[in-house]
Amino acid sequence: MNFELNDDQRALLDAVEQVVQHHLARTPAPVRVECLPELERDLEQGGYFEAFNTEGLGPVAAAAMVIALARLPFCTELGASALLAPRLGLPRTCAVLGEDRAAPARFLAQAACAVAIEADGVFMAPLQAGDAREVESLWAYPMGALIAPEALRWERLDADPNECLNLWRVAIAAEIAGCLSAAMESVVQHVSDRRQFGRPLGSLQAVQHRLAQSAVLVEGVRWFALAAASGAVPAALALGQAQQAVRPVAYDLHQFMGAMGLTLEHPLHRWTYRARRLQSELGACERQFQIAARQAWAA
Amino acid sequence: MDFSWTEEQTALRERVRELLARQLPSDWEHLSRHGPGSPEQTAFSLNFCPLLAEAGLLVPHWPVEHGGSGAPPWHHFIIGEELWAAGEPRGAQYMNVNFIGQTIMRFGSLEQKRRYLPPMAAGQAIWCQGFSEPSAGSDLAALRTRAERRGDEYVINGSKIWTSYAGLAQTCFLLARTGGAGRQGICIFLVPMDTPGITVRGIPSLIGEGDIHEVFFDDVVVPADALLGEEGQAWPIIGWALSHERVGIARYAFSRRVLDGMVRQLQAQGRFDDPVVQARAGQALAAIEAARLLVYRVIDQRARGLPPTADANVARTAVIAADHQVSDFGMSFLPDTYCGSDHPLHLSHHERAIAAGIAAGAAEIQLNLVAQDFLKLPREARA
Repeated sequence: MNFELNDDQRALLDAVEQVVQHHLARTPAPVRVECLPELERDLEQGGYFEAFNTEGLGPVAAAAMVIALARLPFCTELGASALLAPRLGLPRTCAVLGEDRAAPARFLAQAACAVAIEADGVFMAPLQAGDAREVESLWAYPMGALIAPEALRWERLDADPNECLNLWRVAIAAEIAGCLSAAMESVVQHVSDRRQFGRPLGSLQAVQHRLAQSAVLVEGVRWFALAAASGAVPAALALGQAQQAVRPVAYDLHQFMGAMGLTLEHPLHRWTYRARRLQSELGACERQFQIAARQAWAA
Repeated sequence: MDFSWTEEQTALRERVRELLARQLPSDWEHLSRHGPGSPEQTAFSLNFCPLLAEAGLLVPHWPVEHGGSGAPPWHHFIIGEELWAAGEPRGAQYMNVNFIGQTIMRFGSLEQKRRYLPPMAAGQAIWCQGFSEPSAGSDLAALRTRAERRGDEYVINGSKIWTSYAGLAQTCFLLARTGGAGRQGICIFLVPMDTPGITVRGIPSLIGEGDIHEVFFDDVVVPADALLGEEGQAWPIIGWALSHERVGIARYAFSRRVLDGMVRQLQAQGRFDDPVVQARAGQALAAIEAARLLVYRVIDQRARGLPPTADANVARTAVIAADHQVSDFGMSFLPDTYCGSDHPLHLSHHERAIAAGIAAGAAEIQLNLVAQDFLKLPREARA
């Protein structure tokens, strides 16, 4: 057991942190979804998404990077770029479809390719302008849908669907961990600064205990995602735990941000609405728990 | 980052399992049902712990000079996982090796080390922890038991309550007040339980035998060298000791064993194909494994020689949640066997899950510490 990053991983995460801090200094616009071309450029030029295939870095560093970058209140595709596309040798940005290829998926309208991880194989279709349309949604991600999935040129990839599905589970769990951590940080700051009844809100035990319980959940989700990236714990279990944490944590964080957190001026929604979308992917926590149980206790 | 075990660690775990398979009697589960502080389990521990000691599996994490082999904290922890999951054949002696021994080693006098460490390392020492009082439970610093200095002696008067294992303990790790109010006035004394003036009364409880007592101190005279550390130094020592206690017991390992057992029963009954049962089993499993990772995080820090942090409070909170999830699973799908006498380990789990957030520092105190020391939230104004 070793819970510390190695020197290479630490160097990568230090560099990622610089990117995060640079962009955190920006004031988000009062909109639901905001993508920054400069952030995309920094990530592309820095070669960060090569970590997965780099010796000494690998999936754990890639997952740690997703956690760190998901803390930004700006929208960029992280999970597939860090963990799945490098495994499959696909370009950025690839959009990962759900069970129904026609259903809306994150980043689909902007993606270079669509990936479908299905029971009988992993399939990829390159996308041209006009293959996907934007879908209006509540989520803090740009959502899109394929216009005619059956008309695309689907190619079967040489990859194990279970391995890919596990990488995708880790990617989602890591992104949830990052979103919830950032949202938590922002609320902790708020309740430390905001004074009511002559003292900081965060000094009230009613507030402290619920935030502490959320912190315990988020810490568990974070370490679970990293351990699953290393292959030490089942990815379905890590994702189930992450998806299950979203509802209570997001609810409490909004509660303590009060009306301020209901405005688009405050970035809280950027994290919680991303987490809430991720909460429902791959059949949500119930499905992950079922899968994990069948794996753990195979008859 | 590496979340796997070394070959040496895996071999150690295997050795512990082999020893358990050899040494636990066929009626062990029924025997362990009485609880770590029961007369039955205490008597068993006094035979079992010397065997562990002989095999180098009781205090491997202690330095060689005190009977250990200077092994990393992971060794002790792996052994603890296996033994707690088996129903704790060390009985109350787990406390000695989890934190009392190390506390004496770190803060005790030469004479105290000479007197108390060898019996612990030999598996022959039963201790109790005289902390809580009728008016000082979660608010430990409010304790009133007084120790008054008279020449070369202290005279102790007061009472303790909810004291685990006191009925059969030889020695008490006792907190008493020598000074004024608050933390600074508290001292630690190592007090032989056969000292005249000590009365122990068992309190019938929901959580096994020998777990809850009242202990009365009436003009109990101890020599001045029964003091651990200096007068007024107790609070940081207690903090250090509690940081070892918080994640000392591998409760999640016991929860995992019980959950595995319940799933096997449901499979045998043909009920595990139900997706609802599967989802709930997976949910409980996730809580256990999340708790395990958070505890390992703390042991990893300890293995690096880092000072204790609020990560231990985070881990303990997750461990309590896992106990509750497994208990809920049992109550939902196997209420009669989970709480029946045919599966004594499961019944013990049910009882211990009730106490999981109460014993060894209430869950709410853990949350206070997570809020203040982990999240760095402003401290609540105290009355």
